[in-house]
Amino acid sequence: MPRPIPIAILAAALLLAAPAPAAEAPTRAEYVERLEAICQPDALATQKAMKGARADVRKERFKAAAGKFAKATAIFGGTVSQIGAVPRPSADKTRLDKWFGYLNRQEEYLRQITAALRAEKGIKAQRLTARFIHNGNLANNVVLAFGFDYCSFKFSRYG
Amino acid sequence: MSRPSLSRVACLAAAIAVASAVLATAGAERSIGEQTQRGVLVSSLKGELRPLTLPRDRPAPVAVHLEGRLRTADGSLLPRVTEFAIGLPVQGILSTRGLPVCPLRRLHDTRTGEALAACRGALVGRGRLDAVVALPGQTPFPVRARLLAFNSRVHGRRAVLLHAGAGNPPTSSVLPMLVRPGVGRFGTELVGRIATALGPWPRLRSFEITLHRRYAYRGRVHSFISASCPLPPALTAGFFSFARASYKLAGGGGIATGIARSCRARSLR
Repeated sequence: MPRPIPIAILAAALLLAAPAPAAEAPTRAEYVERLEAICQPDALATQKAMKGARADVRKERFKAAAGKFAKATAIFGGTVSQIGAVPRPSADKTRLDKWFGYLNRQEEYLRQITAALRAEKGIKAQRLTARFIHNGNLANNVVLAFGFDYCSFKFSRYG
Repeated sequence: MSRPSLSRVACLAAAIAVASAVLATAGAERSIGEQTQRGVLVSSLKGELRPLTLPRDRPAPVAVHLEGRLRTADGSLLPRVTEFAIGLPVQGILSTRGLPVCPLRRLHDTRTGEALAACRGALVGRGRLDAVVALPGQTPFPVRARLLAFNSRVHGRRAVLLHAGAGNPPTSSVLPMLVRPGVGRFGTELVGRIATALGPWPRLRSFEITLHRRYAYRGRVHSFISASCPLPPALTAGFFSFARASYKLAGGGGIATGIARSCRARSLR
């Protein structure tokens, strides 16, 4: 007759064989806290990178302004991919999908503004800036209830 | 000419209805302005500069129109605002040179008409204010007041007196807004202590104000607020931090909403 398997070994074997539990979805408050921790240094870095950009545009130093916008675009892109990887509260999935849609569009506008400034196309840059601001406000409205500070769009951070 | 068929009329009516709904939605979205939320409290602000097209090289008279609103996301009673401030753009110039001054005492216990009669020369703006009055043991009730803004001086400092006159119940109060240098992109700030001026019961819900006054002084036309749109010839429009409404709340904390707007530069001749 085969020897019985000790219960502890059996339990351990079953535990190892069981599939790993899926990462638990955070609450909205936990999610906001995690995102703000990512956004804060990036928001401050954006502010630093964009310092004087508006003055550059006003004085037709488009190339200098383009360099600052390029830095801001890189920072923004990095932030979006970092916060995109954070597990989302399941109840807010649709809303957050919409928000990330706006954020991707924001990044695209920043890229286009940089290109327009680099090509010294001031009027094009000005039109894109209007869209960038409008899109940023729409993004803020989607996640208004989250009460974001550093992760929300603030025009004052851009030069 | 043939008469339109019923189905074409129905299609047209449906198209108009859809278009109206889209326009109404767009209007409603526009009418909110920019919003900020802290906890359950939501602050919104919208505003505009009139006219939008301004000279590039020198300030011109403008009117600043602002609409601010506070609401709670869950419909609970609004918190008490103790201090209220409006930040105006650094591009704007506030001038009171030669403008008559309305002393605070002249507005005490006056209705809107009486306040206007007493200080018409110092008038710099008009608007509207909505508040909820929450008296202990009573159901909160709304108060709608007409706002008049007068140029003044309080304790030797430049100020704008906001006279709020309500018809029902017939009440009036005066909120002195001190003019002080702003922070960051806001060159000027108007700051009023609501708790001191109006007492603990009113809870600010919304305000709407247009600041504008043109007046003659020593043979020249002056404006209470002037602004330019300093852009190079290669650009026609610029964006700037236009205004910020900030509220300090009883028990600590606060909320602020800033808005960015554009100006158009007058074409070069």
